[in-house]
Amino acid sequence: MNTKTRRIAINVGAGFVPGMNTVVVGAALAAGELGWEIVGIRDGFDGLLHPGDHPDAGLVLLDRQLVENLDPAARGVLGQSPRVDPFHVRQVNEDNLVEEVDMSDRLLERLKEEKIDALISVVSGRGLSIMYKLHRKGINMVCIPRSIENDIAATMVSFGFNSALSFTIEMLDRVSQGVMSARRIGVVEVLGGQSGWLALQAGVAVVADAILIPEIPCDLHTVAANLKEKMSISRPYGLVVVAEGAQLIEKEKVEQDESSPGSLKDSLSPLARGDSGEHIIQRSGQAAETVAKRLQLLLPEETYPMVLGPWVRGGPPTAIDRQLGLLYGAGAVEALNAGENGVMVAFAPPDIKFVPMAEAINKVRTVPAESEFIQIARALNISLGGAL
Amino acid sequence: MSKQSNNPSTLTGIVLNIQRYCSHDGPGIRTTVFLKGCSLRCKWCSNPESIRPKPELAYDPKLCTGKKECGECLKSPFPEGAFYVVDGDDDKIRVNWDLATDCDEKTVSLCPTDALYMFGKELTVEGVIDEVAKDESFYRNTGGGMTISGGECLLQPDFSAALLEEAHNNGINTAIETACNVPWVFVEKVLPHVDTMLHDHKLTIPERHKKWTGADNKRILENFKKAYETFPNIQFIARTPLIPGVNDDEEHIRAVLAFIRPHKNVIEYELLPYHRFGTGKYEFLGKIYELSDFTTPSDESVQRFQDIIDEAFDRSNKEKEDIL
Repeated sequence: MNTKTRRIAINVGAGFVPGMNTVVVGAALAAGELGWEIVGIRDGFDGLLHPGDHPDAGLVLLDRQLVENLDPAARGVLGQSPRVDPFHVRQVNEDNLVEEVDMSDRLLERLKEEKIDALISVVSGRGLSIMYKLHRKGINMVCIPRSIENDIAATMVSFGFNSALSFTIEMLDRVSQGVMSARRIGVVEVLGGQSGWLALQAGVAVVADAILIPEIPCDLHTVAANLKEKMSISRPYGLVVVAEGAQLIEKEKVEQDESSPGSLKDSLSPLARGDSGEHIIQRSGQAAETVAKRLQLLLPEETYPMVLGPWVRGGPPTAIDRQLGLLYGAGAVEALNAGENGVMVAFAPPDIKFVPMAEAINKVRTVPAESEFIQIARALNISLGGAL
Repeated sequence: MSKQSNNPSTLTGIVLNIQRYCSHDGPGIRTTVFLKGCSLRCKWCSNPESIRPKPELAYDPKLCTGKKECGECLKSPFPEGAFYVVDGDDDKIRVNWDLATDCDEKTVSLCPTDALYMFGKELTVEGVIDEVAKDESFYRNTGGGMTISGGECLLQPDFSAALLEEAHNNGINTAIETACNVPWVFVEKVLPHVDTMLHDHKLTIPERHKKWTGADNKRILENFKKAYETFPNIQFIARTPLIPGVNDDEEHIRAVLAFIRPHKNVIEYELLPYHRFGTGKYEFLGKIYELSDFTTPSDESVQRFQDIIDEAFDRSNKEKEDIL
């Protein structure tokens, strides 16, 4: 046991996923068992950097009494911030000038002042890069992966994915009933800019007619032919699930101008996408609308675009995420206790592992060609619009 | 930002670009000097490369030849993890913009295809004026000159003032483009050397101004008023970037007119219909353009607002034709 690590902190990166409290509970109870004190930093790093703006000077003491009464389905006890990047903290200074200030040194000072010697951070893919940078500046760090899209490399399942998947399936079931009665083809867009796990697994679960994911460039003529084959007078409806980052091949390429997020994804880092919400307005819905319009030209039936998108970020966590949250939280404390630093807790059923953060950044966990889910989809005659 | 020097011509500033033959940045044919650094964060900004005060990395993927052919940026001295390729056949270099922030001009110069480059460079007053002076004959023939733009040129007050003064010393007409969201001391340092000031009235209501630009407009309006009154010999041209759904309403246009018309040295109010020319630059910086769904305002609505302006300036149809 690393006896020096006696007071640790936990914070949450940008972007909401259901059940964040379960991670906090897992870490707090495990730390308590070791006799450590654990505090939660409010709103990303804001509680530390601007303690005067928060109750309890920005830090929540996560003692047993508090965490045993935390509702796993409630809003996260630590709150959230739309931006969690201490290297570029946007502020309006006393001269009314808008500026981005590097507060990473101040963060290190504040951690020292609060006698916090290690940090557990629940982060997305981009958050990992920022935490890696902080780790290189000297912060003892253990990260917990959380992703609605399950796109973080080096772990089998990110926290939050299962809840999003379950809710997506529920919504697709509802859409199915809707298109059945309306006798239309529903084209439903779900999250997944780089990685199609959510679309694929949810689409397979509801036996959609087609699933379009970023990993498989899609020919809509193939999709239309498949839909034609399946639809008849007795089955005058269809369901297409499309990930927001789906790629259409050749002439069918999604019409996006140079400023759209889609073209960014083509040429730049997948991690350049602002999942912190920093640069995003009205980006969702484009994939569903484009696919619905194109299919409309190829099929006699009416198509109807719908967007689930960010809806799935809210709500209660599933049983799996509740367990996974506790596992990840406790696992992070275990990592610190084992003297680990600069690692991410990874779930490799039935075990957890500690992988260097450098192994998880600059990578995206995409759907491989040999994925079981691809094979199941093909076995169920679900069109994927192409081949991996 | 500007480095102090006893000799004003050796004073340095961070310059983004020097653009010759400009026709919309003040009277006549002009050379526009774009400075880096801005004190607002307008969501429609067409010069995102001008926002940060320091030189910053840009990446043009079209010029990159990939890992197999080159791969220089994947090795030292480029920062660890700043550039990478994804698993699989995709050979394209990608940028991790969070880890690439330590790249400087020296590092970037190692990129053999210039796919990596820096937006912004430190230049002296003398260096800028030498470039600007190349087109002196155009300025003489057209009534043009030099315009300092940005970013926010008033954020480099010493450099801007020295640059403008040096232009005057060379007989070159001067103009600045500004939003004026800076302390008054910056404004009063620069304006004595300015012939024409083009200034933005972006939104009227302070809360809405803050929502769309990051800061409210109280200080801006105070600065404008003080500038009109303190510098009666400067020609002021008010402008509004017309953004559909944001400020393309009669109420705003009339509020601007009510603000400027009492001041006789505000000689014009121009509308700048929203365009998306700068959106490609967001890609080079790894940023996402926020207003991707916005369209340009219709000719009819622009004309409707122009008619209101003409009426406020008591222009006859003949005068309007002359302006056109």
